Amino acid sequence: SVPLLQAERKRNSLKLLELSEAELEEQFVRGDGPGGQATNKTNNCVVLKHIPSGIVVKCHQTRSVEKNRKIAREILQEKVDLFYKGEDSDVFKEKKAAEKQKQEKKRRAKENLERKQLFKEMQQLDKE
Amino acid sequence: MRCLTHPLLRKLLSLPPQCVPGQGTLSKGAVLSLKQLFLRQNCSAGPGLMTATDMVNYWQKVFETNGIPEARESSQYIVSFVLGAKTFQSLDSKTLHTPLTALQQEQIQRLSHRRLQRMPVQYVLGEWDFWDLTLKMRPPVFIPRPETEDLVSLVVEEELQKCENSALCFPVPVPHPVILEIGCGSGAIALSLLCKLPQSRVIAMDKEEAAVDLTRENAHRLQLQERIHIIHQDVSHCSAKQLLLWGPIDVIVSNPPYIFHEDMASLDAEILCYEDLDALDGGDDGMRVIKTILALAPSLLKVSGVFLEVDPRHPDMVEHWLQAHPDLLLTLRAIHKDFCGKPRFLHIQKQSS
Repeated sequence: SVPLLQAERKRNSLKLLELSEAELEEQFVRGDGPGGQATNKTNNCVVLKHIPSGIVVKCHQTRSVEKNRKIAREILQEKVDLFYKGEDSDVFKEKKAAEKQKQEKKRRAKENLERKQLFKEMQQLDKE
Repeated sequence: MRCLTHPLLRKLLSLPPQCVPGQGTLSKGAVLSLKQLFLRQNCSAGPGLMTATDMVNYWQKVFETNGIPEARESSQYIVSFVLGAKTFQSLDSKTLHTPLTALQQEQIQRLSHRRLQRMPVQYVLGEWDFWDLTLKMRPPVFIPRPETEDLVSLVVEEELQKCENSALCFPVPVPHPVILEIGCGSGAIALSLLCKLPQSRVIAMDKEEAAVDLTRENAHRLQLQERIHIIHQDVSHCSAKQLLLWGPIDVIVSNPPYIFHEDMASLDAEILCYEDLDALDGGDDGMRVIKTILALAPSLLKVSGVFLEVDPRHPDMVEHWLQAHPDLLLTLRAIHKDFCGKPRFLHIQKQSS
């Protein structure tokens, strides 16, 4: 789907600290059962921990365990980057820019509304 | 096809009576009074108004009271589904606090009543996801397990590596791998391979007509019907000739029935009552269909490559069996673990001459 692709392209342009699998600890809510064909558990939640920083991410956004694993890694990578780089993190910078854009849009919309109101008032005055 | 519908059979296997489709031990009256009690205590949006969160809590309680496994997960999936989402975690805050319409509550109730009969969630919703695909699900066709997503990854990795290797040698046209899937069920493996390997073709076969129909339906829904050939055939009774219509086969992939027969009786009610047992039962050593596939492989394969999902006890057993059948000229190249760390996938190849 298009929105997903846009998000992916955006993510790819961010420079984030790489996470190696060796630093990660992954857990699944599967229980001790035999697994495979012998089980039909629907819980596909992935719990992913970055051992050096202690940051934990829980992902149950989709019904596919492999997709949840992928998304968990993406979210964790962003959080780890923020943790170590703080305001230097591209994640922080992007969020800040997006917030600024949002505020700017709000301000402009407010200005336009005030201008329209003023114009209306003036028209009223002209009529009288 | 075998389904445990005979009441005596279920009794002998100590399966709960509510497993009978159409019957529920929890009477409608009991559900309503529980609801009224709950409503008084738990309507976060105001008297008589239930939000998605309220509904999940309510039905989780009902499921727990009735011994339904994965009570919370089941109610989350059902409520999310009615609200048009895949999982509860993916719902936004606004949706979570909006009161549900009467229709939505009714839909949730209808689906939850099916779950009360131990029907697997995937059959309750009539659909489930496998990798990026949403597939229709219908009893008794075998429900794809999450481990099997890894089996698809292994086949894809192997095929992509072959592309790379051939490109390094000299310019060759992009290969069009022909993949044979034995026991396609709902079409999960076949269709996700077609999506991830856009140049591939798949021959999918299953001995059950219900599975063939469902794979065909899913293929059409995903517009992949041009690249898949679905055959109603039992691998135990087929000849190599029938399967070679698109030329020699590059890869065989299968998640064959691999459960040891003696373990069948201890499976959850969800599985025993609703899924096709022939899709699970691998005979005394769980290897009946595995052996059939491996015996057929040499006469089908152009290059190499049989990928199988198996029981964790099978890797050694298969290795010994291959050594005992040297005429097949097959070797066990690799054993891969599933995401729970269990040896789950076998990569078998033709011996290099």
